[in-house]
Amino acid sequence: MNPAELLAEYGDHVFDEIDLDITKESLVGFATACGEAHPRFIDSEHADFQGVPNYLTRIHGTRSLPEGFPVEMHRCFDAGKSIEVHQAVRAGDNVTGKSEIHDIFEKSGRSGTMLFIVHRMNFYNQKGDHLATVDWRLVQREMD
Amino acid sequence: MILDLHTHSIASDDGRAKVVNYCQWIQKKSLPIDGFVLTEHRQFDDANDYRALEDQFGILILKASEVETEYGHVLVFGVNEDLKASFDFADIRNPLAMVIEEAKRCGAVAVPCHPGRPKVGMCAHWETKGAVDGVEIVETLNGGSREGENEEALAYAERFGWKKIGGSDSHIVSHIGRCATKFEDEIRDMDGLITALNDGIFEAILP
Repeated sequence: MNPAELLAEYGDHVFDEIDLDITKESLVGFATACGEAHPRFIDSEHADFQGVPNYLTRIHGTRSLPEGFPVEMHRCFDAGKSIEVHQAVRAGDNVTGKSEIHDIFEKSGRSGTMLFIVHRMNFYNQKGDHLATVDWRLVQREMD
Repeated sequence: MILDLHTHSIASDDGRAKVVNYCQWIQKKSLPIDGFVLTEHRQFDDANDYRALEDQFGILILKASEVETEYGHVLVFGVNEDLKASFDFADIRNPLAMVIEEAKRCGAVAVPCHPGRPKVGMCAHWETKGAVDGVEIVETLNGGSREGENEEALAYAERFGWKKIGGSDSHIVSHIGRCATKFEDEIRDMDGLITALNDGIFEAILP
């Protein structure tokens, strides 16, 4: 299948959903690991204590790709993540993450042809507020 | 007039430079270029209008495309609705001859870029798949080239009598202007660039 056919078959629906509770220890730990020093992110007693903007990039779903997606994982590597933050994540939030295939495209470069698969996770809090959109790119390179 | 004919902004999937930041960098560093052309990967950027930035910074900003073919990547200047309808810009296996022919038919100009680069440059494919009619201009100075790649492009251009352009292939702000093209006449818009490319009076330079 070409990228458009793959996207038509596997895109545009949620294929995985996770649920997790956000603790202050987790927020402080991640912020500290990132080298963040602002009290808003590392002091759980701060009046505006919240997760660092990239906090939700640490969350993975239970699946990388929809069931049956034709990919050869031994030819794949992580092509990075980007996050669009809509609202701060707070200690005590119950967060739901929903995964979908957002885009599939090909490109060619020095190393040959590559297939990019964009796994999008949308995160919501217990009130249904949209917290963030995280796009994780997986790239499959051609055979040597 | 000096233009960087090959740049990418955040509209490209691998671009990390905002157009306003290119303008600020050119101004801050007093780079000796008068403008640049955004050649986004596998698309034409219809969404963005940079006329306000042109006015603010006094820099010419034009839009084109970098498409992909079975002979490597190709810059297309003068993209219009007819050309966009004539082939799939997102396809990475477009026939080079078709891209060149359709560009000409639609009043655009197709220029194979970084032709000396492995896999995505025209030269290697030229040897294995054969010559392609219609090539008239190639990019012989590319700011992202590795050692020997621009030299190979230049050797091909001189062997076949192709005209030569330069472009930085910048994906980050500080790379803009590393290579460019010097034109005899002033260029004010894409029509002017197409005319100048067809006239053939220009040279690839390291500003």
